[in-house]
Amino acid sequence: MIILEVTSPGSSVSLVLFFGTIGMLALTIGLIVFIIFHQRKVIRYQLRLQRMEQDQQKLLLNASIRLQEEERQRIAADLHDDAGPLLATARLYLNENLVNLDKTTQLQSIYNAKQIIDDTIQLIRNISHSLMPPTLKNFGLESAVNDLFQKISGSGSMNASSRFHDYRERLQAENELIIFRVIQELVNNILKHSNASFIHLTQNTSGNKFFIRLHHDGRGITQNDFNKLNKSNVGLGLKNIQSRLKVLHGKIFFEKDMSQTYYKVTIELVKEEEDKLQEQE
Amino acid sequence: MIFFVCFLKRNRHGGFWVIFFYCLISFLTDNIYRYLHQPVNRFYLYSGFTICEFLFISLFIYLSLKTKLLRIIILTGGLIFCPIAIINLLHGSDGSFFDSLSASSESILLIIYSIFFLYEQLTDQTVIYVYNQKRFWIVLAVLLYFASTLFLFIEAATLTKAEYNNYWPINNIFNILKNILFSIAFIMKKSDKAHQSLDTAYPDIQ
Repeated sequence: MIILEVTSPGSSVSLVLFFGTIGMLALTIGLIVFIIFHQRKVIRYQLRLQRMEQDQQKLLLNASIRLQEEERQRIAADLHDDAGPLLATARLYLNENLVNLDKTTQLQSIYNAKQIIDDTIQLIRNISHSLMPPTLKNFGLESAVNDLFQKISGSGSMNASSRFHDYRERLQAENELIIFRVIQELVNNILKHSNASFIHLTQNTSGNKFFIRLHHDGRGITQNDFNKLNKSNVGLGLKNIQSRLKVLHGKIFFEKDMSQTYYKVTIELVKEEEDKLQEQE
Repeated sequence: MIFFVCFLKRNRHGGFWVIFFYCLISFLTDNIYRYLHQPVNRFYLYSGFTICEFLFISLFIYLSLKTKLLRIIILTGGLIFCPIAIINLLHGSDGSFFDSLSASSESILLIIYSIFFLYEQLTDQTVIYVYNQKRFWIVLAVLLYFASTLFLFIEAATLTKAEYNNYWPINNIFNILKNILFSIAFIMKKSDKAHQSLDTAYPDIQ
């Protein structure tokens, strides 16, 4: 009936009413359908993101487990290959004491055993220091980094220097260790892959941000390479760096210097995050 | 109203009592209307109902919104609309039995408020299933009803008695639809599915 009324000539009110109502109804239904479909689309996108993040987490976890295993293997090898034979030799010397009654030979073998035990103590100390550098624990990040760089420079293969501009207040011990491990990993990578002739580390703070920047003149990687390596199954050390920095809510940037001569690696931490972590503990 | 009372436990919280009172007033208005024969009285009845209707639905949407800015806009809209509607009511009917100006501005405002609600739901990351919420069905009913009757309300002042009788069923049809949607909302269980983690909420979407 309404349609008949609308189609009759001269009924402009009816026409407006008819098309207005139909139009509004269509718009409303369209809006509702759009909302429902848009929401499903957003959910799909979020799910995809979540899955990608889970994959990334899995990769990082695998990397950290593998690294832990490698570290254990290294310690096991050090103990087995170095400390084991040394102690066995010392045992042999002491055994000889039991069967040999000659005083001079006994003294000689005791002296030899003592020498071997001293070497073993030194070896175990070295292993222990590689696990937790005493300089870091006692004197902080600045001293530990300086120590590390002095050792590198001392080897003569590379010129390594560091400068801490604003490190009056030490970070929390656990966080210092994490940052030190990251620096160690980066320096290791530079030593292994870059063929650089120098490394220079600078530390700075700006507002509530804490920066550590490494410069070197060898072959390096950019942020794109870093992201690609992080998503792939290779680049164990880099994944380890990222998982360590994730604990501190820190960021890392790989880039080439403005002059295109040097590679820069910047670690950025928020000091407030550090305080929050401290409070949580 | 029957469904609200039957499923009182499900509708006790979340401002659904506002919709219950709105339905009650709507029911009473429709019944009183039958006994009124003078257009002047009908005008006052409709105008009064329009103000009440606007206040109840605005209050419901106000209670449903979380964004402060949108809430302020609703309050401002109410503060502008109510005095105009009351002045219009006091000004008199001019022989007409329907207050077209108030009803159409009420419709426009409530459509805008409903869009506010839907926009908020769209941007709220915690909402997974928008249609699993009781509020959504109430707002959907409001939006459908007022969008469909907007042009009828605008044109109502210019319609003749015959045209009015001819077109008024549009209002009745969408009124029934609105009540059906309200009933769905009142019957619906309070769902936790609307707010949950993505993994468990959408196993079918891959």
